[in-house]
Amino acid sequence: MNPLVVVILVSLAAAPTTALAGFWRPRWAGPVALAGTALAFAAALWNWHSPGATVDREWAPTWGLRLHVQSDGLAAVYSLLATGIGLAVVLYALAYIPSHLHHQHRDDGDATRFFAFLLLFMGAMVGLVHAQDLFLIFLFWDLTAIASYFLIGYDRQRREARISAIMALQITCVSAIGFLIGSLMLGERFGTYQLPELIAQVESSRYVTVAMAFMLIAALAKSAQAPAHFWLPRAMAAPTPVSAYLHSAAMVAAGVFLIGRIYPLIALSDLLLDVLTIAGAASILVGGILALSRDNLKQLLAYSTISQYGYVVLMFGIGGAYGVGAASFYVLAHGVCKCALFLTAGAVSEATDQRELSNLGGLWRHYPLLAVASGVAAAALAGLPLTIGWFKDELFFNAAVDDGFPATLMAMIAATLTFAYMGRFWLGIFAGPDRGAGRSISPLLVWPIVALAVVAVVGGIVTGPFVRLAAAAASATLGRDVDLHVGYAINTEAKIALVVFASGAILVATYRFWREFPVTIAILGAVVGPDRIYSSVINGLNRLSDRIHWIEVRDLRSRVASVLAPAAVLFVVSLVMTRFTGPFRTGDLKSGDGPIVLMLILIGIAALTAAAPRNHFSMVLALSGVGYGLAVVYSLLRAPDVAIVAVLIETILSLLVFGFLALLPADVDPAEVIPVDDPEQQAQEDHALRDAGLAISAGAFAFVVAWGVMSRPAALESVIAEHVALTPDAHGSDVVTTILADFRGFDTAGEITVLGIAFLGAATLLRRRVAR
Amino acid sequence: MTMMFALAIAVLFAAGCYLLLKPDFVKILGGIILISNAAILFIMAAGLSRGREAIYPIEPGQRVSDPLVQSMALTAIVISFGVSALMIGMIYRVYMAHRSIDVELISDIEEREVQIEEEERLDQSIDAMPDREETVADPAAEREPQAVAT
Repeated sequence: MNPLVVVILVSLAAAPTTALAGFWRPRWAGPVALAGTALAFAAALWNWHSPGATVDREWAPTWGLRLHVQSDGLAAVYSLLATGIGLAVVLYALAYIPSHLHHQHRDDGDATRFFAFLLLFMGAMVGLVHAQDLFLIFLFWDLTAIASYFLIGYDRQRREARISAIMALQITCVSAIGFLIGSLMLGERFGTYQLPELIAQVESSRYVTVAMAFMLIAALAKSAQAPAHFWLPRAMAAPTPVSAYLHSAAMVAAGVFLIGRIYPLIALSDLLLDVLTIAGAASILVGGILALSRDNLKQLLAYSTISQYGYVVLMFGIGGAYGVGAASFYVLAHGVCKCALFLTAGAVSEATDQRELSNLGGLWRHYPLLAVASGVAAAALAGLPLTIGWFKDELFFNAAVDDGFPATLMAMIAATLTFAYMGRFWLGIFAGPDRGAGRSISPLLVWPIVALAVVAVVGGIVTGPFVRLAAAAASATLGRDVDLHVGYAINTEAKIALVVFASGAILVATYRFWREFPVTIAILGAVVGPDRIYSSVINGLNRLSDRIHWIEVRDLRSRVASVLAPAAVLFVVSLVMTRFTGPFRTGDLKSGDGPIVLMLILIGIAALTAAAPRNHFSMVLALSGVGYGLAVVYSLLRAPDVAIVAVLIETILSLLVFGFLALLPADVDPAEVIPVDDPEQQAQEDHALRDAGLAISAGAFAFVVAWGVMSRPAALESVIAEHVALTPDAHGSDVVTTILADFRGFDTAGEITVLGIAFLGAATLLRRRVAR
Repeated sequence: MTMMFALAIAVLFAAGCYLLLKPDFVKILGGIILISNAAILFIMAAGLSRGREAIYPIEPGQRVSDPLVQSMALTAIVISFGVSALMIGMIYRVYMAHRSIDVELISDIEEREVQIEEEERLDQSIDAMPDREETVADPAAEREPQAVAT
């Protein structure tokens, strides 16, 4: 059996299985989720050891879509992250979620929702990283956004959570349209939506650059790069396990994953690489400085994530084998450490009910194991030796030094900032004066952190598997074999690292002297930042929608107008677009046409009379005039059947309307009431002018359409001859009645049914008494 | 002749539209009747041939009035009559319920009813909220997402 199929199917099946188990027995949701994640992780490991598998099936052949998945190094890195971190998070959530629900006085059954959506997230991630068809990528891409929406908004009774969820959904889904546009542009031009084929045949051109720029919008917004970074700190409204997963293995990682996947197409344009470099550098600075300004644990970590993924994007921008290899290695190392730190923040808050650094301190005495484990994770993120972090920084510095001085300087600033806020985070929680212990922490909340810390340390000693994984990912991205080497040595990178540690330590030690600086920047950002633009856009759209809705539903006439006005616009557009061939024919007036013209003139006068503001009675009289006039026209057109029916129907209708008017009291007719000179009357007259304008333009269009159609009659008259010839065979002598009763008998039967129902309805409406 | 028919159709249609825009149900009914008449005349005038009545005995080669449009027009006449009759019934019911056939007056009344209903529903849903404190804490801010305090 193909391991590729297994890993995708297991990951995708985990969510529905969990949901079913949860609906059946709420207690089972957690264990089933754990089993599903463990299976998915095992499958991902197996899949990594048998690379190169491909499944390529037809999906929608006429659109050129294929179910095309492939396992390669890049997919291995991200699927191992998604399932491995997923395992740690689910384990943690087994203890965390019940107590979270308990705090909020919610039903235990709500846990099912959490696990199901978390696993949906994981499944979407695993599917995304293996997909090779652009539409398949888009599908999974949006699936991750939907899962994140439900997870961020998990505490749905909190307004904050709902707003954050909507914001994350809007930012990532609206930007995802960019990916769709880019895909369509590429597919239209190159005739395929398969990524490997595109990479093989696409060459640098402005068209491709534009298409890839659209795709980059999606990738950068999802990986929370400045200026679209603001949704990520807001997403902290989610329960802690969600934040941990979102930041380290899913959502945000999906953004940089996409850059890695489409990198060969991006690298065709130096401009786009520069965009990556600038976006990365900006995010490093914004994220790093704002992280230093935060007091809230999760907020600090959220800004740190922005900054860390800024590293990755910057490395993609620098490019080359080392840049791309370092990017993958970085994502791997960051995922492990950041997850551990988030889980730490959650565990600490759970034990002490505190969420602010300023209220915490000295906890190492009470939770030594947690302190050591999260210390390792923080050290790894800061890049201390003997952890996996040392090598992520070594690769990072290596790529930067190769690129030149500006990149090196940027890298040093980035690493110093990281060191500083990691130091603040860990020292703030665990060091300092003792402020007393909180509740005891469940081992389930600690052991996942310990496991992740062990991974971080092992990665610092036995680098082999991690480096091989990153090299394989870089090979998959660049399409050629990449060899990465790391090791402890006194080289340029190590010297840079020492400088960074020293300056970082100074920053931590002197924090209280300059803390106003990041805080000022944070306030500035809140005033003029992109989130302000976002909220004003959202509010503006909201108001616009309210206004349109109001116009639409205000009264019957505007409701009709809201249908007719867009239709009229479409009609004018189509009229302008239609190319009229041939002239409009006035048609020749024959000697016998005189009476018809006369009748038509009379009908026109009668119609205008009906429209004139008279009372109901004269309107109905004029309408009868129109009807009888038309009957005369039909008889002059030698259509006796139509003429007879028209007279009959007109008579019945006139009687019906007169009878109906007799039922209504006279004072219901506005025209019968003695006119009062008041402002409302004035408004009515203004309306009359507007209505007349509308009616005249409608008539003008009717004229153009009718004249246009009748000037170009269909050339074939054979159907008339056919009907005439067939009539004797149907034992009829009147062609029209034969058509109705025989050739189109079924139509007539349907018509009779409609009419019957209409009369039943009318009779019921007229007869039933209304209670009121 | 073609243009004459087109003109007549246009006048019928325009007069119908004008009546349709009136806030008076009986006039709206008149508008619909006029527009139906415009459509029927359009069908009839779009006939491909004109000649004598399409009733046997017809000598071979003789031109007859297009029988197809006539049967279509017959259908249209009858259906439009059905629509008008149903509408009369509805207007009558509306009058009985509201004692008015003024569209705007009636929709004003309905709007007020909907508003009252919504307010009642809102009251109920606030009562049903689990943490009442938060929902009522800041009713002004409920409508719009505020800028994030970055």
